[in-house]
Amino acid sequence: MTKERVIEVIKNNIIENLDDLEVDDIDPQKSMKDYGANSLDMIEVVSCSMRELKIKIPRSELADIANIDHLADKFMDYVDK
Amino acid sequence: MKRKICLSVQDTGIARLKMNDSEGKNIFTKEFINEFVHALDELENIYKPKVLILHGLDDVFCGGAEKETLIDLCDGKIVVIDLILSERLVNLPFPVIAAMEGHAMGGGLVVGLCCDIVIAARESRYGSVFMSMGFTPGMGCTTLLSELVGPYIANEMMFTGRRFRGSELAGKGTHINYILPKSEVLQKAGDLALQISEKNVKSLYLLKYTLGAKKKKLLIDARLQEDLMHRITFAFPETKKTINELYVE
Repeated sequence: MTKERVIEVIKNNIIENLDDLEVDDIDPQKSMKDYGANSLDMIEVVSCSMRELKIKIPRSELADIANIDHLADKFMDYVDK
Repeated sequence: MKRKICLSVQDTGIARLKMNDSEGKNIFTKEFINEFVHALDELENIYKPKVLILHGLDDVFCGGAEKETLIDLCDGKIVVIDLILSERLVNLPFPVIAAMEGHAMGGGLVVGLCCDIVIAARESRYGSVFMSMGFTPGMGCTTLLSELVGPYIANEMMFTGRRFRGSELAGKGTHINYILPKSEVLQKAGDLALQISEKNVKSLYLLKYTLGAKKKKLLIDARLQEDLMHRITFAFPETKKTINELYVE
């Protein structure tokens, strides 16, 4: 599993859960909040992505994530490489 | 200050109540609920319309509970003003059309469920998201949702908390009256309201009294169970933790 693939999964779940966004619009250096995501959107994106990647990360570890890239790094710690 | 609820009533007897808090995205802040209840008071006592169209913002119909309320529940405060809304809506003496152009989540979805006719948008998402936030559904969701979408779809929506797009619900054969492109939702609501407004107002109120009786009972049944579940679920220490972690400031 590459980080690029993890980012792709996250991006796909973002466009699935947010309106009027295309994959190419999403900059991993930005936070989902920058694209108008609310709490529920973020829960959905994170839990859908984790299910897809077959990982489970405690919520407390996700509290300080600053942007999409950072979230992908966190996911990378858990995926089978 | 910008009003969170806008009310307008036409000579035809068609009233429109718009949930208009673009800043708060139509979540149940105290001001929002108070303005909402005040508008319902005015409708019932002054305007006495033939029909009401209940609608929201283009992107959000109604967002449901705010964090503060949920934390209050965790801290054992039982009185929650949000609960008034579903009660007031099912007890309105005139027919109500929910024109849900935008998303409706949790208690915000229940606001739609309390109406007599429901129009949803293909592009928008509708979710009974309570369980995703760590607690059991409320405001009447446990009995009212199955009325609209059928018991098994309602189970899925409540257990998973997943938000369904209108287009997805359209393929499931629910009881939602119309699932249309967002741009056509308000117009359809206007068409239906016009047809209703041509009827005798006294007969309309009489019919609403009869047709609304089942929903009033369903809400009472739901609240008996839901209030008990809330006392239990909100007392779990992990519920407060989940709410604090999940809600973005």
